[in-house]
Amino acid sequence: MKKIIALALASAMLLTGCNGGGATSAEAVEKYGSDTLKLYNWGEYMGENLISDFEKEFGVKVIVEYFDSNEMMYTKLQAGDAYDVLVPSDYMIQRMVEQDMLQELDLSLIPNMENVSDGVKNLPYDPENKYSVPYFWGSVGIVYNHNNVDPAVVEEQGYEILRNTDYKGKIYIYDSERDSFMMALKALGYSMNTENEAEIQEAYQWLLDMNNTMEPVYVTDEVIDGMMTGTKDIAVVYSGDATTILEENPDMSFYMPNEGTNIWSDAMVIPANAPNPKLAHEFINYVLTYDASMGNSEYVGYASSNQEVLDELSGEGGLFAENEAYLPRAGYEKDEVFVDNPVLKKTLAELWIKVKATK
Amino acid sequence: MRQFRSMIYPYVLWIAIMIVVPMLLILLYAFTKGANDVATFRFTLEHFGRFFSDAVFLDVLKRSLVIAIWTTIVCVFLGYPIAYAIATGSEKSKIFWILMITLPTWINMLVRTYAWVGILQDDGLLNKFLGLFGIGPFHMMYTTFAVVLGMVYNFIPFMILQIHTSLAKMDKSFLEAASDLGANRVQSFLRITLPLSLPGVLSGITLVFLPAVSSFFIPKLLGGGQYVLIGNVIETQFLTSGDWNFGSAISLIMAIIIMLSMYLTRKVDTDPAANGRGE
Repeated sequence: MKKIIALALASAMLLTGCNGGGATSAEAVEKYGSDTLKLYNWGEYMGENLISDFEKEFGVKVIVEYFDSNEMMYTKLQAGDAYDVLVPSDYMIQRMVEQDMLQELDLSLIPNMENVSDGVKNLPYDPENKYSVPYFWGSVGIVYNHNNVDPAVVEEQGYEILRNTDYKGKIYIYDSERDSFMMALKALGYSMNTENEAEIQEAYQWLLDMNNTMEPVYVTDEVIDGMMTGTKDIAVVYSGDATTILEENPDMSFYMPNEGTNIWSDAMVIPANAPNPKLAHEFINYVLTYDASMGNSEYVGYASSNQEVLDELSGEGGLFAENEAYLPRAGYEKDEVFVDNPVLKKTLAELWIKVKATK
Repeated sequence: MRQFRSMIYPYVLWIAIMIVVPMLLILLYAFTKGANDVATFRFTLEHFGRFFSDAVFLDVLKRSLVIAIWTTIVCVFLGYPIAYAIATGSEKSKIFWILMITLPTWINMLVRTYAWVGILQDDGLLNKFLGLFGIGPFHMMYTTFAVVLGMVYNFIPFMILQIHTSLAKMDKSFLEAASDLGANRVQSFLRITLPLSLPGVLSGITLVFLPAVSSFFIPKLLGGGQYVLIGNVIETQFLTSGDWNFGSAISLIMAIIIMLSMYLTRKVDTDPAANGRGE
């Protein structure tokens, strides 16, 4: 929700920097051809000083705009808006590559690529990281209140606990067709990228049954506040949001179901029509530095793409050492990455609105 | 004055670009299929068939209408006394109260609605306040109550202002004549004030009902997604499933329902005059 508010209040917030140390604007113009970078990112997704530090160091201005869904970003780009750097998710990057909307990266300008964790490199949406550089990554799992829900039951039932009527009226469901169908398909033991009509129908029935028996509340970012205050007992949540919830409310635990989950990543890309690709490369390289990655991950709570930061924050004495949600599960065979499939997505969106509309 | 006529052309052009063209596009999309690319369309009625043959969508439509009607009823019964009190108050208090009613509308509607989440939630302001007296806590978020409350809160200024305007316009000598002729206050209210303020009530109803029936973020925020209304379905078609054709078809269905209800209220509006009781 904060994302929407931020968007409503400041859809085009201008962050202008001062040139304290670092380079001057004239130097920047000489080096990059321009001193302005247009960044289009998720709301609440950057460390507090990321932008101002970058501006200072390189003598540039960064204009930031925020989106709250990949689709919204995509629609805006199609309408002709030009940005230098975007941070879309996996499946959207795949779609944009297929539609020639991105430019190939010049990796010689991004030496910090070597800092990137192997777990988030070369994922199926961009097998050689030719177009995208990982920003944050994570999984999806179940956050539950261990005072009211027995951990043994969560581990035994996995996603099925969302149809366990003992917890009727106690659950949040993430209001997105992708995540809901992921949960249903995984619970039934199918691939979340299935195109099999029968499997999709079965998942639809699973969700309908959940909707009709469990009195779920459908939310998006409100789930963070709701679980932090303990309003409900069970929710399916992105691991990065779960990290925040667990930090704020010690009654909450995180569990990644054995049925498998969605491994996702948001990555930085440069659109084909970027006005200032040179500076865009510089920004991407800057985000991968230890300091910038640390600032981002500490502040936002999502798993960093920088291996050193990841190790330090999750390791002994690290900020998230006690937080089981921070470190994503890498290399589990039932975990999958979303594949872009516009036809399937349309079908699922249609079915999902029907699930929610059924009383 | 003739030489000023040409000054309206920019305005006509503006209307054409900003209102007529989008409407035509919606019409075009609603009756065609194919990609979002307008160049490759084919004529079809299937979107309408799809909408009316699906019980789920019809349910959503019914739910939207019911919630909008409830909102309108509450707005009339709450708004009328308030407007009446303002209109009959002193000139100074009038200005103050009108300001008080319009002031919140200067703040973004989304922000104001989000504030209600903080007030209504289980450990929110209202429950904390009631808790001081040992009442509650009540579960209010994600209920019909919350959705209707959010809508009433957001749309009632339109109702109050409309009714107030028609009450303020009313010629006070009618009331003096009525009391000279021996009518008591109830009688003169029922036979003079009420009929004369009816046009205000009716335009208030239109102004409340229309946004209420197509609202999508109030049910989303306060209804927790369980209260899927027609506006939410349209939003999904455009933003998530990218099916602009179906989305346009539903928008068109809504537009027709809205035009129909406007036509009906206008009909009621002209009736009292036809009976010789109005103006």
